Amino acid sequence: MDTFLAALFSGTSRGAIYALVALGLVIVWRGAGVVNFAQMGQAMFSTYIASTLIQNGNSYWVGFFVALFAGAALGALLDVLVMRPLSNKKKTELLSSESMRAAIPVIASLGILGVLQALAGIIWAAEERGFPAPAAQEGFTVAGSVMPFTSFDVFVISIVLITLTMTTIFFKKTGVGLAMRATALNQEVARLSGIRTNFTRTLSWAISGAASSLAGLLITPTSNLSPNTLDLVLIIGFTAAVVGGLDSPAGAVLGGFIVGLVISFVTFYLSPEDVFISILAVLLIVLIVKPRGILGGKDSRRV
Amino acid sequence: MLKIENLTTSFGSVIALDGVSMTAQESKITTVIGANGAGKSTLLRTISGLESPSAGSITWDGRSIVGLKPEDIVRAGIAHVPEGHAVISELSVEENINMGSLFRRRSHKSDVAASLDEMYQLFPRLQERRKQLAGTLSGGERQMLAISRALVSRPKLLLLDEPSLGLAPLVVEQIIDCVNTLCRSTGLTVLLVEQNANTALGVADHGVLLALGKVVADRPAAELKADSSLRAAYLGY
Amino acid sequence: MERIHVVSSAAKNPSIIRRSFRRTIFFIIAILAIGSTFEPYNQAQLAVVLIYFIGVLSVTILTGISGQISLGQGALMAVGGYTTALLMTNYSISLWIAVPASIVGAGIAGALLGIAAARLSGPYLAGTTLVIALAIPTIANRFMSVFKGDEGLPVDVGYPPSWFTSLFGEPTYEEWQLYVVLPFAAIALFFASNLLLSRTGRMWKSIRDHETAAALTGVNYSRQKIYVFIIASIFAGLAGALYGLRGLVGPSVYPVALSLTLLTAAVLGGIRSIFGAFIGTVIVVFLPDWIDLVLDNFELSEQVSNFMPALISSLLLILTVVINPAGVAGGHHHKHK
Repeated sequence: MDTFLAALFSGTSRGAIYALVALGLVIVWRGAGVVNFAQMGQAMFSTYIASTLIQNGNSYWVGFFVALFAGAALGALLDVLVMRPLSNKKKTELLSSESMRAAIPVIASLGILGVLQALAGIIWAAEERGFPAPAAQEGFTVAGSVMPFTSFDVFVISIVLITLTMTTIFFKKTGVGLAMRATALNQEVARLSGIRTNFTRTLSWAISGAASSLAGLLITPTSNLSPNTLDLVLIIGFTAAVVGGLDSPAGAVLGGFIVGLVISFVTFYLSPEDVFISILAVLLIVLIVKPRGILGGKDSRRV
Repeated sequence: MLKIENLTTSFGSVIALDGVSMTAQESKITTVIGANGAGKSTLLRTISGLESPSAGSITWDGRSIVGLKPEDIVRAGIAHVPEGHAVISELSVEENINMGSLFRRRSHKSDVAASLDEMYQLFPRLQERRKQLAGTLSGGERQMLAISRALVSRPKLLLLDEPSLGLAPLVVEQIIDCVNTLCRSTGLTVLLVEQNANTALGVADHGVLLALGKVVADRPAAELKADSSLRAAYLGY
Repeated sequence: MERIHVVSSAAKNPSIIRRSFRRTIFFIIAILAIGSTFEPYNQAQLAVVLIYFIGVLSVTILTGISGQISLGQGALMAVGGYTTALLMTNYSISLWIAVPASIVGAGIAGALLGIAAARLSGPYLAGTTLVIALAIPTIANRFMSVFKGDEGLPVDVGYPPSWFTSLFGEPTYEEWQLYVVLPFAAIALFFASNLLLSRTGRMWKSIRDHETAAALTGVNYSRQKIYVFIIASIFAGLAGALYGLRGLVGPSVYPVALSLTLLTAAVLGGIRSIFGAFIGTVIVVFLPDWIDLVLDNFELSEQVSNFMPALISSLLLILTVVINPAGVAGGHHHKHK
């Protein structure tokens, strides 16, 4: 029973983080039509910034909020510098092909990932660093026995839930949120309504950047910080987004928790080495059975 | 007043608009008619900024709007209701309408709510369905919705692209009547593109006949309507 | 049922075979000529260029011609490499048999990958293949006894046969590498050239350009996509096998970055042509050295110079995609419809 509880709590806590990563991917996918493979690279970069600030004597929270801001700024910068010029390209022969138009942003985001990782190496070297957590990482003591649930886990889950609530409210209730949804669904009609679609797309990138920075900040305390640590998180986040449905923010959250729990139970009941294969298995199963994800719509592209 | 001079728009080697010149008089309904492929939609899309012309000028209220982004042209008072998919199916009716007034929320805060109410007065069916997703609406209702979205931006010029497409005659009549009333009561300038020339010429003040991207006739609507040889040659009836 | 007309339809069109043959001969002569002027270090690099070239061709075929983006070509190279290593080490099979056998192994892996991938496109495909590529170290660790985990399997390429040494004299280690790889590269080039020029190649291009339209004209594009994967995997497997011949097969030899390197090379050089594949490969293999040459003029810390090549090639990738997606060879190549 202990193992089960431990797996459950750990899975929920990690799942919350993966939900964030997946949410970031979904926001950019829906808002800008791109799967941003560089996302965790951005997270890694902002977390390094936070780490540097903290190492220089600032409080955790200063580093935290600067990192969020840096993540948003970095995301916006990437859109303006790379993604916007990319989508403004005149239609050449190469770009008239459907699949090339889908492939090119993927390649661009991979390039961005490479740049971010190399820059991180240049600026901070590839040394692994620790990263602090703002809350205790030991389990709570309840009735004399140690629970497999730490106050850090509580912190993580609360932050993620708060973020998810704020994001939902933002998208549903605010004018900017409506503008972003409109841009994502039908750019032409959005423009004809007077919506500045370039701006809303950049905003999608900024929000996604902040969300992924948050994920990076929350996950790094339990591992170490180096240019490549978050690669695995990207894969997991991607799987979570696909499982839940790349088109659905709610799906991203659901997918995150599912994947978190799967990983957790595999780690506790099988072995940590099986984690990767189980992620791959989950991904393949979803792609074969329901390619659009659990909460994704029906695949309307059948010919 | 909208003034178009020598407008040319091409797509690769296809010339969709070939030196089109015309005006849309203030507070009047001008209709652009012609067969399929005559360039009517391209004309509206070039005016609203979705397409860039390769030559020519478009002057609105004295200033040139060629090269402006669609978002800015809306702010200049021109609203375009494109043909076909002019509403966003995954958003609710109310969200669709509100889309059109988003850019006014800061400058004309109080008017935004008023404009929404006006649309509900104009199209009570939309009010009934305000929370429903736009995709669940009938064709006629969707057209009303699209027009509402355009109207809440408080345009001075309304570009309507084939509002009758795919709609039953009764519904078409309702919509055209509505537009006509709007024009006469509020002084809205309307540029109406229509395949259904008869209906269009019935309400319009002025008519422009387009064929293969060129202006073939530019006359008061009543004259055009009466000219049977022109109709036979270009409109097929 | 559509069949692959790699040689047969080309055979119906002898001019295709002639063209491919000419290109291949020119290629062989050029490589031999250039290689003989090189220093041993650069000869070894040239061998690597040839190996990567074959791997990049797999990207050109998969992405440039049929429009499917895969980040797992490195993994398919690993399949080829491991097969060769296992056959040579455990069963003492000569490399001239082991390598072709590895191609079969890679082809099978490619078929499996293709079946999974046929229903996917764009980011789904990219992400899934990336996950698979990342799975290599895990699998190597999981079945330690067979794959020897992180350590990997050593490969001994052996000595040149006596008939060779009596004809051409004793080659250096680097020269021998070149001589082993060159025939395979030439064959790969020949087949790739045939493929791209043939009717099959054109059919695949139609899938790339208008997937929905191609489906409507009756092309069974799901099946074709799998075939493309198989063919591309064969190229990748061959490259991987040859790469392993350099001495070691293990996760460190086939990291995730390898898939990205192949993709970078293909895009930089020109994703749609064989010539582009070659140019891209040359750039990617020689770039670190060129950068070091330039950077030697500046006093840079080791920290910076370690990551500069990666930074510059990633920047080049972004710039290529944004400014000239057709790559170096792109604009100038005669149009293949």
